[in-house]
Amino acid sequence: MYRRDRFVAQESNELIDDTLLAQPLSRRLRLDLIGERLALVAVVIGIWWFASLSMPHYILPGPVRVWDALQLIAANGDLWNNLGITLWRVAVGFVFAALVGMPFGIVLGANKRAGEFFEPVIPVLNTVSSAIWAIFAIIWFGISNATTIFVVFMTAMPLIITNVWQGTRTVNPDFIELAHVLRMPRRKVMTKIYLPTILPYFFSGARLAFGFSWRVSLVAETIGSSSGVGYRLRQAADLIKTDQVFAWTLTLVIMMATIEMGIMKPLENYLFRWKKDVEPQ
Amino acid sequence: MNQSEPTEQVCNDAEQTPPAIRLSGISKSFANGNHTIEVLKNVNLTVPSQAIVGLIGASGSGKSTLLNIISGILKPDRGQVCICGAASEEFNDWRSVSYMFQDDRLLPWRTAIRNVEFALEAGSIAKTERARRALQALQLAELGSFEEAFPYQLSGGMRSRVALARSLVTEPRILLMDEPFSRLDAQTRSLMHEELLRVYQLKRMTVVFVTHDVAEAVLLADQVAVMSARPGTIREVVEVTPPRPRDITQPEMTSYMQRLRALI
Repeated sequence: MYRRDRFVAQESNELIDDTLLAQPLSRRLRLDLIGERLALVAVVIGIWWFASLSMPHYILPGPVRVWDALQLIAANGDLWNNLGITLWRVAVGFVFAALVGMPFGIVLGANKRAGEFFEPVIPVLNTVSSAIWAIFAIIWFGISNATTIFVVFMTAMPLIITNVWQGTRTVNPDFIELAHVLRMPRRKVMTKIYLPTILPYFFSGARLAFGFSWRVSLVAETIGSSSGVGYRLRQAADLIKTDQVFAWTLTLVIMMATIEMGIMKPLENYLFRWKKDVEPQ
Repeated sequence: MNQSEPTEQVCNDAEQTPPAIRLSGISKSFANGNHTIEVLKNVNLTVPSQAIVGLIGASGSGKSTLLNIISGILKPDRGQVCICGAASEEFNDWRSVSYMFQDDRLLPWRTAIRNVEFALEAGSIAKTERARRALQALQLAELGSFEEAFPYQLSGGMRSRVALARSLVTEPRILLMDEPFSRLDAQTRSLMHEELLRVYQLKRMTVVFVTHDVAEAVLLADQVAVMSARPGTIREVVEVTPPRPRDITQPEMTSYMQRLRALI
């Protein structure tokens, strides 16, 4: 699997192309796309509204009811507090995962023996369900921030390690030789050749891990926390305030979509604009 | 150029201007499983300063190995390498020796100008100065308007020009090239030959290039060293005297080519 990835990476380096500067996405096309997206949202809300007409509101609340619930939790500060707490926990767990995963991935990729020795650990870590980590976390940390952070960490870290590890194996030996001929010091070889090669792998791992972290943090908060969006979700469900359950869910979806489309995607496009297959901005 | 020079351990022997490169008694073997392969055996070669020398020979004659030994990235088992009158081990100005590979080896995540700058980043030159020199080198390679293009946006010939600019940006005294244009199509290749000669006229460095193409050797070189196959030795050094630019369809050039072909 690694070998194949490396082959692909090398091959794409050697691609020779005569096309100069790829055409940017035209403004017209982009407007069309926005229109399509809006239409899609309208259709989903329409179906939701229609379905809610024939259901009791504690089973399926309609869009208006959910909007009211959303305004209520936004007005009394509940929304921002809990969203903030959850976001903070995800961020801390994620940053720890990146700080541990990055160097570990590099070491495992660069050192063949270490790589072979630890190879079985990653799939094992990946197969352990987040719910199990959550239960362990409650045993070890009780009802606290550390519980959620730990679960996020244990979920995100193997994903980042796997990707960085894979990235380290794709470093092109020809570039190392080039640096060698230029008498470039080892430290600079790390920052100027290893790092840029690994970065796309780290980034895709981090993106995946971040998405997982969100989902997993809710599970952890549901069973091991007395604050945060996950806790609020469970509370609302226990009290059969289905409109609030919907409101929290909606908030999360919007938040994830904003982070994904507003930060991650543009960042990726900018960082990896040198790659042929990424659309320009 | 003297191919049967005796092995000597002194690089600076009171000559007025020492040769750019002097190889005496170079031998190199590689271990391959249980047996060793002798790639180079007693190679002697002197490259005068500011000359263009072509290394030609059958594949497996150790041309690239010899180039790597000159560039100091490989150590010979025996023999002495002198660079600009200093023993290779004591020579400390390696940044004035440039190496151009068979492929362009542009870093795909860097723009053309940043790729050229890469050659200067081993040292400690200020960023603005690096950028200024890199732009100059790109302009020298006639690619000034493509400085912000990424490698994937450039054609094979343009990428070769960027690689050439990267080799020249350090203002090398010696330029080593390992079949530098062999992956280009015939037309682009001949453009790159003109390009190289134009830069050579301007900068007057010593050039050593490896090729398997007799026409390329005759077109560019002042001297062509023909290597025999395994173990590689210099079989003969042919002086190519006609002034450049040369036309390989001329009978004089054709006879050079025939002579070289017979030697390989």
